Amino acid sequence: MSWYKEADRTVTAANPIPSHRAYRLLVGAALRAQLQYRGNLLLTLASGIAYQSVGLAFVSVVVARFGSIGGWSLSQIAFLYGMRVTAHGMWTVPASELNWLDMTIRTGEFDRYLVRPAGPLLQLLCRRVYLATFGDLATGVIILAVAAPSAGMSMAPGPLAYLVLALVGGAMVEGAFQLGVASLSFRMVSNQSLRLLIASIMNNFGGYPLHIFPNVTRILLCFVLPVAFVAYLPATVLLDRTGDLSVAPWLAWGSPLAGPVLLFLAYLGWRRQIHHYTSTGT
Amino acid sequence: MSRLIPGVPTTPPLALTARQRLAAYWGVGVMQCRTQLLYRGDLLFRLFGVLLQVYLLSLVWEAAYPASGTAAGHNGHRIALSTQIAYVTFAVVQNWLLNSGGMNFIPHRVREGSVAVDLIRPMRFPTQMLWVHAGATAAQTPFALVALPFAVLAGGAQAPASAVAGVCYAVSLALAVVIALLINTLVSMVAFWTTESTGIFVMYRFVQQFLSGSLVPLWFMPNWLRVLAEWMPFQTTTYAPLAVYLGQARAAPVIGLQMVWCVALFGVLRAVWARALNRVVVQGG
Repeated sequence: MSWYKEADRTVTAANPIPSHRAYRLLVGAALRAQLQYRGNLLLTLASGIAYQSVGLAFVSVVVARFGSIGGWSLSQIAFLYGMRVTAHGMWTVPASELNWLDMTIRTGEFDRYLVRPAGPLLQLLCRRVYLATFGDLATGVIILAVAAPSAGMSMAPGPLAYLVLALVGGAMVEGAFQLGVASLSFRMVSNQSLRLLIASIMNNFGGYPLHIFPNVTRILLCFVLPVAFVAYLPATVLLDRTGDLSVAPWLAWGSPLAGPVLLFLAYLGWRRQIHHYTSTGT
Repeated sequence: MSRLIPGVPTTPPLALTARQRLAAYWGVGVMQCRTQLLYRGDLLFRLFGVLLQVYLLSLVWEAAYPASGTAAGHNGHRIALSTQIAYVTFAVVQNWLLNSGGMNFIPHRVREGSVAVDLIRPMRFPTQMLWVHAGATAAQTPFALVALPFAVLAGGAQAPASAVAGVCYAVSLALAVVIALLINTLVSMVAFWTTESTGIFVMYRFVQQFLSGSLVPLWFMPNWLRVLAEWMPFQTTTYAPLAVYLGQARAAPVIGLQMVWCVALFGVLRAVWARALNRVVVQGG
């Protein structure tokens, strides 16, 4: 039926641009905009790398002096640290603009998203490409690649596939919390503090073997703000150290599943909260 | 004609008396302090971040320390775990007090063009900026004082090694504040050479954090790193005063070194400013 195909190409409110195409268009534009500042590119990447490496630099100095932390060698901790930074990078490269949701609401930029023919979340995520996040991702991948062989991870296809699943799952855990907190912006004027707090807990605590922490802290990091699911639990599986855990090993094995579940819940939350949007009128 | 406009002296009043100058610089500092206090909410959050860092670092040291509870520092001193945790607690709070005022004062002025106003004031620009940074540190002080007891709860504390060590710490801390102000002003001068300085500041922050000893004290650093840190001014802002407080370093050489750095950094600041003045590009305003 040729009339149908014709109508398919005309964009109307009832027949919007498919979201994958909208995404490609918007990200392309944002990337081109960012690449206008080439001189700044290397510096921005380097600052991302510095930001993510300082924690590992600290651990290396401590381990160089004392041999191990919680029975984990430097390469094992580096592997765990690399997993966390990579998962963080995988989330933050496409979604760092979530941080600006409250700002776009305050300035009225969000009004524009609601009248254009693409989803508001998609437009928010594509408003800019923040190149420093590629520095985060690169740091994580490099640390992981360097540490994996000496940490004792098997390079068979099975463990490698599990590693990829764990990283995707970890990215989703972090993403779920960032999305969940960001959707509170529809009700609160500014929630920057809460967002930074969550990021800072994940950033600070996520890269350590959590069994070195006291019970209460460990339980909080496992079940309240589940940092454990980002890297520590899957890392114990990959490094064959599930013996360190005080939770059942099946929980560690299944840890990559936590991400999709949490992110789905967070997305439902977003859908509910966006109904509370009121324009600030600016 | 001796007077062009009645009532206006022909020589511009560029030369202020010392008292006027002090009053003017003081005013600049107070203004910045007030501006800073407008962002109290932000400061409160950062306070929480500081407590988290203290908590995390003490747990990591506790986990890393040998079961005997003491370990040898670089000069053979035994460092007890409790001393180490007290060090970490004080170092994080002190480093926060000295460095969280922000680096953005000069870049912001250059970007917005208000640097032009600063330049026509009859005061030296670098000294104005030192006072701006001082105002920001002053605004930070009450928060650091509030943070301290909580930080002690999250980490730990120790009394000064002796009464003399306590007094010397106070002197050394005052010098540390001056050195930190000088370094921060100096580094933010980079704004006159590059229009985008955020990346540089992020990297500087991490170098500073590490070499100041606020993450790992110099006594536990590997040799090469310790030597590097000893030759840089950063350690005199955090490590050196605390080493005096905890009785791990003799006060006289520390205070002497700090004075040398004060003079040297002030000289560098003046020299850098002489070059920067030729590069001022006002971008807007």
